[in-house]
Amino acid sequence: MKAETVFIVDDDASICEGLSNLLDSVGIPTEQYPSAEAFWESWNDQRAGCMLLDARLPGASGVEFQEHLKNLGIGLPIIFMTAHGDIPMVRKVMKAGAIEFLTKPFQKQELLHAVAQAFEQDRTRRQEDSIVSTINARINSLTDREREVMAMVTAGLLNKQIASELSLSEITVKIHRRRVMDGMLAGSLAELVKMCERARFPSWRGPS
Amino acid sequence: MEYGIKPFSIATCFVLVALLWTFPLQRVIAYPFVFLFFGAVMGSAWFGGALAGFVAVVQSSLVITYFFIPPVFSITVAKESQSFLAAFILCAIAISIVSSSRKRAESAVRTARDQLEAKVRERTAELEHSNLEIQESERQLRMLTEAIPQQIWRADVSGRIEYCNQHLRDYVGERESSIEGDSFFNILHPEDAVLFRQGWESALVAGGRFEVKVRVRGADRAFRWFLVRSIPQRAEDGAITRWYGIHIDIEEQHKAQQSLVIAQDNLSRLWRTLSMAEMAASIAHELNQPLTAVVTHAYACREWLSTNPANLEKASATAEKIVQESTRASSVVKRVRALFRKEGTERQTVDLNPLIQELARLLRDEAIRRGVGIRVVLDRNLPKIEGDSVQIQQVLLNLATNAMDAMTAVTGSREVTIHSERRGADEVLITVDDVGPGISPEIVSRIFEPFFSTKEQGTGMGLAICRSVVEAHDGRIWVENRNPAGARFRFTLRVTA
Repeated sequence: MKAETVFIVDDDASICEGLSNLLDSVGIPTEQYPSAEAFWESWNDQRAGCMLLDARLPGASGVEFQEHLKNLGIGLPIIFMTAHGDIPMVRKVMKAGAIEFLTKPFQKQELLHAVAQAFEQDRTRRQEDSIVSTINARINSLTDREREVMAMVTAGLLNKQIASELSLSEITVKIHRRRVMDGMLAGSLAELVKMCERARFPSWRGPS
Repeated sequence: MEYGIKPFSIATCFVLVALLWTFPLQRVIAYPFVFLFFGAVMGSAWFGGALAGFVAVVQSSLVITYFFIPPVFSITVAKESQSFLAAFILCAIAISIVSSSRKRAESAVRTARDQLEAKVRERTAELEHSNLEIQESERQLRMLTEAIPQQIWRADVSGRIEYCNQHLRDYVGERESSIEGDSFFNILHPEDAVLFRQGWESALVAGGRFEVKVRVRGADRAFRWFLVRSIPQRAEDGAITRWYGIHIDIEEQHKAQQSLVIAQDNLSRLWRTLSMAEMAASIAHELNQPLTAVVTHAYACREWLSTNPANLEKASATAEKIVQESTRASSVVKRVRALFRKEGTERQTVDLNPLIQELARLLRDEAIRRGVGIRVVLDRNLPKIEGDSVQIQQVLLNLATNAMDAMTAVTGSREVTIHSERRGADEVLITVDDVGPGISPEIVSRIFEPFFSTKEQGTGMGLAICRSVVEAHDGRIWVENRNPAGARFRFTLRVTA
């Protein structure tokens, strides 16, 4: 994995250059793109960092691009910048999860603060992502029956209820339950429930 | 005439009856008594026709000859009785002919009468049938008018409603359920009733159908817009006897149209300020970009210098960037300043007359909406000028819209006049006149100053820009008041050398 990078997307090359120079001077690696499309072409989800996005771009505008990324499930934090931001636009992008909305020209501290915040968020996001993918891997290692039992356990059903629901003996349910706890590396029921919530594993909702 | 056995049997019966009655009578009467046989002939001819009559004549003659004419019981006739028999036969034939022809005539009359009666019956039946058909089609028509989801009425020439369908009743409400007979104009909006009556009366004269958009009062006393379409019905002499009308609900369309008008209004207001606002925004953007670059580079430069040891190479490269970007910013400023100066403008040979005509066309919709007339008086021999046609048109547009704005409160006829004329050897004079309140003396001197405005939403830049443009073209712009009312804006431009 490469170091955390600021991806600068602005159609004005001199702005890109200035920002790149400034971030370079404080030791933050940058990459410059003249348009959202150019950025998108070189993107892969192993990259980390944040995006410094001009709100008004040729082609897909910054706001549209933000929506696009969101729809694709890419959680790269975005810092918006514009020469003339109007309130509705600011409200819209902030609501959609933008880190900050900078009005050109901006103070160095504003920028660096936003970048630091974005990196932090990205780190949390990637951590979360990796935890979720670990949990998902564990869930995938279970058998279908074990997943079924897990859904019922996390829904708060007793062994007896699970047994009658699945037409199994209570002993068998206990065995499955043990295997679920082992497979998920869960020390307690509470931990298991938490893991399932994190991975958005759906718990049992009654007989189908 | 009838043939077959029937005439013979009828004749025989009559003759037999006559014979039977004559026998006893003959006993008391001395002369051969033949009168009853006349009766038999008459009856036979009457009931059996000419043939039966003839048969009765023959039979009677034979019977008389045999029984009553001497010598009796023989068919020979004594010489002295021959004339008597002949007379009898002649009389009998005559009676037979008369009787049978009378009978024929009578039966012909009867047949004719019977036929007539049959015909009358037939006609009556037909009439009843067609009456039913008419009733049925009338019923269907009525159902149709009720089924149409529009309001339909029929009125006499004076506008009294004779019929209206349920939809119209429902719309105007229970209170006026007896709208029939009411004057139609009562359910119209008072303002529209006048218009409607005009349409009605002119249609009476012109004799055609007519359509008007009017507001019709509903049961809730609220008015909705309807398209009322009326068709006259004419008598044979061409006079109008009735009106048929249909109301089509156009409230929604009307609302949509209204909001469109408002949108257009906003648009045109925007359009007038757009060039200025747009210019300002683009200047701001153009300046902001290099300034942002300068600021970020400057921050970077300081960072490069503050590291230990200072990265002089990077700092120097950054300083170079700062110089470049600052130059770029200053060139933007230069360009803006040059925008209204001679060297910045596109100079070409311009024919002002088509320019003015185009402007008048451009403003036409706006002018109609505001109830303003635009009059253009052009000098046909106007020389061409040298300048920037877009900028000159902006000046004209600005002056013309100002003129329209100035007449908002004018109640009489509103008119903007644009003149073009030659002035001296090397100048063209353009005049824009209005009939508004004019310019008060205390502001005449300030009116071309930037940010000076008498309008609530004015930027105060319009006339200032006009002056910049005109002066950049070596011209002059000024304002006068007209007599008795109105303002006159004039500017001059230099004729092409």
